[in-house]
Amino acid sequence: MYRSLFNILSRRHTRQGLWGLPLLVALVISLWLTVQTTEFATAENLFNLVAQAMPLIIAAIGQLVVVLIGGLDLSVGSVISFTTAVLALDQPAILLIPAVFVLAAFIGLINGLAITRFNVHPIIATLSTQYIVLGITRILRPVSGGTVPEIVIGAVSGSFLGIPYPVFWGIVVILAAWKLLYGSRYGLHLFAIGGGIASGAESAARNFGVSDRRNIILAYVICSCFAAVAGVFLAGRIVSGDPNVGLLFELDTVTAVALGGTQLSGGIGSLHGTVIGALVMALLANGMNLANVSPFVQTAIKGGILLAVVGLQSRKKMGL
Amino acid sequence: MTNLIEMSHISKAFGGSKALHSVSLDLKAGSVHALMGENGAGKSTLMKILAGVHQRDSGEIFMNGEKLDLKSPRDALEAGISTVFQEHSLLPNLSIAENMFLGREPTTRFGSIDYRAMSSQTAKALGELGLTLDPSQLVSNLTIAERQFVEIAHCIQADASVLILDEPTAALNAADVDVLNRNIRRLRDKGKAVVYISHRMEEIFALCDTVTVLKDGALVGTRMVSEITIDELIAMMVGRELQDLFPERMGEKGDEILRVESLKITETSQPLSLTLHKGEIVALAGLEGQGQQRFLRSLIGRYHPFAGTISINGKALRMPLSASAGVRHLQKLKVGFVPEDRKEEGLFLALPIAHNIAIGLHSRRPELAPARPYRNVIARMMEVMNIKAAGPSAPVGSLSGGNQQKVLLGRYLAADLDLLLVEEPTRGVDIGAKSEIYHLLRDFTRKGGAVLVLSRETIELIGLCDRIYVVHDDTIVAEMPAAQATEHKILDAALMGTAARQH
Repeated sequence: MYRSLFNILSRRHTRQGLWGLPLLVALVISLWLTVQTTEFATAENLFNLVAQAMPLIIAAIGQLVVVLIGGLDLSVGSVISFTTAVLALDQPAILLIPAVFVLAAFIGLINGLAITRFNVHPIIATLSTQYIVLGITRILRPVSGGTVPEIVIGAVSGSFLGIPYPVFWGIVVILAAWKLLYGSRYGLHLFAIGGGIASGAESAARNFGVSDRRNIILAYVICSCFAAVAGVFLAGRIVSGDPNVGLLFELDTVTAVALGGTQLSGGIGSLHGTVIGALVMALLANGMNLANVSPFVQTAIKGGILLAVVGLQSRKKMGL
Repeated sequence: MTNLIEMSHISKAFGGSKALHSVSLDLKAGSVHALMGENGAGKSTLMKILAGVHQRDSGEIFMNGEKLDLKSPRDALEAGISTVFQEHSLLPNLSIAENMFLGREPTTRFGSIDYRAMSSQTAKALGELGLTLDPSQLVSNLTIAERQFVEIAHCIQADASVLILDEPTAALNAADVDVLNRNIRRLRDKGKAVVYISHRMEEIFALCDTVTVLKDGALVGTRMVSEITIDELIAMMVGRELQDLFPERMGEKGDEILRVESLKITETSQPLSLTLHKGEIVALAGLEGQGQQRFLRSLIGRYHPFAGTISINGKALRMPLSASAGVRHLQKLKVGFVPEDRKEEGLFLALPIAHNIAIGLHSRRPELAPARPYRNVIARMMEVMNIKAAGPSAPVGSLSGGNQQKVLLGRYLAADLDLLLVEEPTRGVDIGAKSEIYHLLRDFTRKGGAVLVLSRETIELIGLCDRIYVVHDDTIVAEMPAAQATEHKILDAALMGTAARQH
C-alpha cells in the first residue's frame, strides 16, 4: 500500500515531472492549518486564498512555458510592476488594456531575440530586461500612486455565488494554458525543444523540421503576456500603479515551477504541477502569516525551498 | 534504372578545412548504396548535405531530374529524404508516436493533436518492422536497438523515397542486425533508395548493391558490389603513401612498464592480457568501436572494466580506479593520458599555449603551491615541437589543428612521464604535422618512454608502432609485430575473430 502510493506520487518515466509530492505537501499543510486554526477551513477563506494566489499562478504558468524550452525569465517581476504603472496612466481603459499586452509582448520579443539571435544566456538576457523595464517603470511612477481604470478594479473585486471573480478569470487562463500546452502542436514542440536541449542535442528538434528559434521567441512572448495578465489582476486589487508590486515575482514563479515538479533544465514538467506549486507557495505564506513568521524570514524560507526542490529532483533519477 | 538522386560536384568547407571537394553520387530507386571511407573522409558531411543539415558551398542536387535546393532539414523531409543520424536524434521525453510525427502532427478539427490517429499509424509502421511497442511509451524507456528501429519506422512513416542510414548497426547486436538487414531489403524491394554507411565489410557485401568510396573528402570511385572483392575495396579505401612519413623503429626494448592481465572489459567479453615495455610504441588496432577506447579508458578509471588486474612498473593498481581521480593517480605513477578529442577533452582553447602546456607541470605540484611560470620549459617545448604561433601567449584556439595537437602532446612530453596513453594522435591533422607528431612520439620512446596508442587510421598504426594488438568485440584477438602487419592482415584478424566465434 505504502509502496504503491509512493510510486504514484513519484511517478518516473513520465513527462509530467514529480507533481504528486507537492500535492501531498499541499494537503499536509492544509490539514495542519485546519487543525491549528478555526478560520482556515472555511469556504470564504479558501476562495480568498486561491484569489490571492491567482497572480502568482498565472505568472508561474508563463514561467513554465519558458522553463519547458530550457530557458528562464527573470523579467516577469518587472513586467508585472510595469503593467500596473501603465494601467495607472489616466487614459481610457480601451487604450490601456491592449497597450499593456502589446508592451509585454514587445519585452518578450526582446528577450527571445537576444537569446536566439545574439546567443545571450537566458539569465543574462532577462536580467537585463528586468533592469531596463524596472527603470522605465520608476520613471513612469517613482512611488505608488495613480488610479487604474474602473473596469479593471471591477473585474477582480467582487464575487459571484460567494466565489471571487479572480477565481473565474484564473480558471479561464488555466484552461487557455491547458489548450496551449496539451492541445496544440506548439505545446508538443515546446517539450521537444526543451527535451533536446536538456539531453545535449540542441539541434534534435530542428532535425525533425521544428523551428526552434521561432518557438523559443514565442515562448518568451507568451511568458511576458502571462506576466501582464498577473499585472492586471494586481493592479485591480491595489487600485493604483506600484513600481514595487512585482518585486521578487521572478523568484516566486521559478520556485513555484520547480516545486511543481518541473525540471529547470527543460522538457519535463506540467501545468497542474505548476498550479499546485503556486498554491503550495500561497498556503505556506498563509500558514506562516498565521504563525506570525516575519516576512523577512519567509523570504529566506522560500529561497531554501527553491534550493531544496531543485537539488532533490535530479534529472538522472527521472531517467529522461 | 534511372537515378532518383543525383548529387553532382558537391564541395563543402568548414572554416579553412575542406571537407568535400567535388564529390558526385547517384542513388537509384530500389537499391542499397554503401558509402565507405575512413573517418573524416566526408561520408557524414555528404549525407548531412543531402539531409539539409549542412548547406553545400557548390555543386547541385537533382531529384528525378529536378533541381533540389535544400536549405533546412525540413526541406529535405518534404522532398522525401529521411535520415537516421549517427548521433541519437530521437527526443527522450517524447513518446514513440510523438517522435514519429514531430513537426507534422495531424490535428483534429479543434486544432488539438490527433493522438488517436498518431497512435494507430505508429503501431502500423512499427508492425511493418515486426515490432510490438506501445506507441505511447516514452523513448527514454527504449533500448538502443529499439530506438534505432523507431527511427527507421519514422522514415517509413514519413513515406520517404530516400533513406540515409548512418552507421545504423554500430550499437546493435547480431540478432538485431539481422532484423535490420531484413527490413532494409524489404524497403529496397519497395523501391526506396537506401544509403548505408558502415565500417563492417561483411554487411556491405551481404546487403548493398553499389559502393562508393570517399577519401579525404574526395571521390575515389563507385563500383557494383558484385564486381568487386574485399581486397579491392580495401585497396580503394587505403593506398596512401604514408611510408616516408614514419620514423625508424627502435631495435631493443627495455623493462616492462605496463602489464594487464585477464582484464574483462564487460561481463560477457573474453579476458585480455597485454604487456608494454620501455622503448616500445604499441597499437590497439581493429574496426571502429570494438572496445579499443573502452580498454584504454579502463586504464585511467574513466571506464570500469568487469574484472582484471593492471600493474604499472610492477606495482598493481587498486581497481576500480575512480573516474574523477584516476588520471591524477596515474600522473603520480608518471603515466599521461592524451584524450581523443583535443577540443572537448584536451585543450583549454581560450587560454594561451603557455598555460596549456604548463598545466601538466602544475598538476603534479601541491594544490596551493604558487604557480611557477616555467618559461624556459615552455619555450623549449615550443621549439622542439616546432609549434607555429605568434608566441607562447597566443590562445590555443587560434592555432591550426596540427599545432593544437602538438600543444596537447607537448603538455605531456614536458611533464617528464614514462608512459603515454594516446588516443587518436593525429585526428584532423595535416600530413606534415602528422609526420612531426610521429617523430615526437618516437623520440619519447628513445629516451626510455613507452606509448600505447589507438587510432582509427590503421596505416598510421602500422607505420608508427613496434607491435600491434588487434581488438575486436572488447577483447584482443591477435598480436603481431608492426613490421610484418598489413591493413589486410589486421582486418582479417579482426573479422576472423568474429567469424570464429559465430561458428
